[in-house]
Amino acid sequence: MSMDALARLREWIEPILQNKYSRVGFFIILFIVALAIGAPVIAPKHYAEVDPQNRLQPPSLQHLFGTDELGRDVFSRVVYGARIALWVGMLVVFIEAAIGVTLGVLAGYYGGKVDKVISAVTDMVWAFPPLVLALGVVTLIGPGLVNVVTAVAIVSWPTFTRIVRAKVQSLVNREFVLAARAIGESDLNIMLRYLLPNVIPTIIVIAALSIPSAILSTTALSFLGFGAQPPTPDWGAMVSNGMPQLPRAPWVSSFPGIFIVITCLGFNLLGDGLRDILDPKLKV
Amino acid sequence: MTDPLLRVVDLKTYYRTSAGLVRAVDGVSFEVYKDETFCVVGESGCGKSTLALSIIRLVPYPGEIVGGKIIYRGTDLLKLPESEMRKIRGKEIAMIFQNPMNSLNPVFTIGFQIAEPPVIHFNMDGRSAWRRAVELIGKVRMPDPEVRARNYPHVLSGGMRQRSMIAMMISCEPKLLLADEPTTSVDVTVQAQLLNLLMNIKRERRMSMVLITHNFGLVAEVCNRVAVMYAGKIVELGPVREVFRNPVHPYTRGLMKCLPIGTKRKEQLYVIPGQPPNLIEPPPGCRFHPRCPHAMEKCKKEEPPLTEVEPNHYVACYLRR
Amino acid sequence: MTVEGLRKYFPVKKGFFKKPDWIRAVDDVTFQVFKGETLGIVGESGSGKTTLAKLILRLIDPTTGKIYFDGTDIVGVSKKELRKYRRRMGIVFQDPSASLNPRMSIEETLRRPLIVHGIKDREEVRRRVLDILQKVGLGKEHMKKYPHQLSGGQQQRVAIARAIILNPDLVVLDEPTSSLDVSIQAQILNLLVKLQHDLNLTYIFISHDLLTVRYVSDRIAVMYLGKLVEIAEADELFYNAKHPYTATLLSAAPIPNPEVRYVKRFSLVRGEPPSPINPPPGCRFHPRCPYAISRCRTKEPVLKDVGGGHYVACHRAEELDLSEYTSGLWKIITESRVS
Repeated sequence: MSMDALARLREWIEPILQNKYSRVGFFIILFIVALAIGAPVIAPKHYAEVDPQNRLQPPSLQHLFGTDELGRDVFSRVVYGARIALWVGMLVVFIEAAIGVTLGVLAGYYGGKVDKVISAVTDMVWAFPPLVLALGVVTLIGPGLVNVVTAVAIVSWPTFTRIVRAKVQSLVNREFVLAARAIGESDLNIMLRYLLPNVIPTIIVIAALSIPSAILSTTALSFLGFGAQPPTPDWGAMVSNGMPQLPRAPWVSSFPGIFIVITCLGFNLLGDGLRDILDPKLKV
Repeated sequence: MTDPLLRVVDLKTYYRTSAGLVRAVDGVSFEVYKDETFCVVGESGCGKSTLALSIIRLVPYPGEIVGGKIIYRGTDLLKLPESEMRKIRGKEIAMIFQNPMNSLNPVFTIGFQIAEPPVIHFNMDGRSAWRRAVELIGKVRMPDPEVRARNYPHVLSGGMRQRSMIAMMISCEPKLLLADEPTTSVDVTVQAQLLNLLMNIKRERRMSMVLITHNFGLVAEVCNRVAVMYAGKIVELGPVREVFRNPVHPYTRGLMKCLPIGTKRKEQLYVIPGQPPNLIEPPPGCRFHPRCPHAMEKCKKEEPPLTEVEPNHYVACYLRR
Repeated sequence: MTVEGLRKYFPVKKGFFKKPDWIRAVDDVTFQVFKGETLGIVGESGSGKTTLAKLILRLIDPTTGKIYFDGTDIVGVSKKELRKYRRRMGIVFQDPSASLNPRMSIEETLRRPLIVHGIKDREEVRRRVLDILQKVGLGKEHMKKYPHQLSGGQQQRVAIARAIILNPDLVVLDEPTSSLDVSIQAQILNLLVKLQHDLNLTYIFISHDLLTVRYVSDRIAVMYLGKLVEIAEADELFYNAKHPYTATLLSAAPIPNPEVRYVKRFSLVRGEPPSPINPPPGCRFHPRCPYAISRCRTKEPVLKDVGGGHYVACHRAEELDLSEYTSGLWKIITESRVS
């Protein structure tokens, strides 16, 4: 059984490695994941360890990325921050997908009034500038990382709905769906057993491509002070904290900033590669 | 016989795919004479469409012509630079595809598209090219040519689109028309009319035609000579009456026998066992031998050459009657 | 099974304020299918033959009309009741690659009908799946495969297996061989004929290919623009076509014999099938019919018995002799044979 799973995993990874872009993306993500998992081992200090003697030290062998205004090791904070970035990105996308896919499948399958209502709601949410809407939601439910995640997910699921709905619409008239109805399958079964499995490659692609914007939105909110509260090593919050020292100690803001960019780039490349592999016709 | 208009010698077109080298056309030779209709018949995946695309050098990536000659009126098309080849396409050799919706540009009127080739090839001025387009639309028997010329492809029916395609293709008076399954996507009554139109135009303009099809009915209806393709090779070639009256290759015979004609209703039909081979690793020897009821030891090892069994009737099979 | 006055109109919106037009896809169609027979339905695209197939299986709801299955009208029945009838009907579509769920193994595809209809015992399910695979000429080795790993012919065998695994009485075959190669077509036709014989199935065989339809059918119905124009015993229809449209179809079919060529028979074919939106008044075929008289333009002909269960909807059915157009095909069907 495990051999089987291993073989399956290889089947997935091999095409990713064959594609130039997704290969780069894959290794970047692998690197970030390694940082996240191995944080206690890799990071020389704990992320919250304050050292008032060594404030705003420039990068050196001892402090690879320098220290911040409280003397905390920026490198350690960045490494621990990978955990938060990944966790936040995936959680946001998971919630988005849960809302978006459900609505998309329902709209695509039933059509008619159901479709009209769902599409109207989707368009309404889509029409708001996402960050402004998310800000609104956070002000309503209060600051905090979990609340930021919820807020970002609530404003950005329409991507999933739109693409999944279109995909389902193209599948619903395929003959295998008709055949399923002809053998007496229930609506729920048709959606779960016939439509959903055929949409999953698409969902994976959109998910991979949505993670960067999820990370960016949450970091943006954290940057504005709504997200992670100190001393949580959130990259967005770190960039924000380093801002006043920017002329004197640029390393405090720039290293977490660089990691935000690298991570987003990694997911984008991986997503593009996955799209070529899984769903060449999809253009997000 | 006179010199052939087109002579294809030992043509090889392969696709380099990630799964391996697909030998879609693997050593095909034949001639097309003036005024004749030459049919290439075979099942899907036998390489017949690739053959047609090879002749006008439009084989899509990752396909590539790897060997052979295509001699059109004395010049080897495979040796021409792309710029010269462009002058041949449309003007000397034109091609009609199976799906007219994909071959017509949806954002231009059909009149514009029919007028365009003469502007490119003969530097004809726009106004007279348009007049000619309207004339051609009438020629392919579409009602109200003036109106039709201003239509966009999507408002036309399948048959009308294929007619406009024909008008476009004959606008430069090509000498050779390649038609790849031109009637597969239309209804039988429309098919009959399109074929009749094609044959009339062909006769009037003294064109030669290469018709690619899977339908033995069409072969019998319109062509002079026929080549039967199997797994990238021609297995039988000859005058159409001769091939239908006296098919020699077991594959040709099998295809003709398995049609539901000449049988009582619900009577067991003859069946060619198995499936066509994949062209990455075709069987050694004669490619048909795993499905052939008469296969001998020799067929498994050596590839039978195309040899003349009757005057002008060629067969690639060791089993000759 | 009896179909009575079946109609299906689809609305076509032309604009927000305009009233919709109606596509009369199936318009007042009445016929019967007898147990154990094959009823062939031929027609060109837009004739409504596929809509008819979907109506019969109640995959779409008819606008009006009745469908009696074993004496019960299944148009009015509840969803639950309908399921009972679904069990007794199967359908096979044209394109086997589109009619199988690409993400479902062959085994699962064949298990679904059994499970949906309450057969839950694992041993029994397995046994029946194996049994049906064998019947359609596949084996155990195909169970774990996915549709894309099979050839077109094998996929169609799976689709047939799915249609008959519940031991239905009626199977609707919608162009089951049209997308297959000639050599594979013969294999599938043989299989269908054998299954019908072994399992005592009733077929409705829909196709545009006249030679195939004549081969499998006991009776053939010809459709034009949503209307039934002629219905007769299969060989009778080919030998003695009475409706000019039937004769047109027969004369347009390419015949695989170079001794009898098109061009001579061709004179009957005129124009293209018009759109089923706002079909012509009177006889719908009259604009393309060389025999049309003034009555055909105004009065719609009804199906009349011309003897021996041969029904024609044509005002001039009795007086026309169309054999010169159809004899060529008939001759080939009965005579030509490669030895």
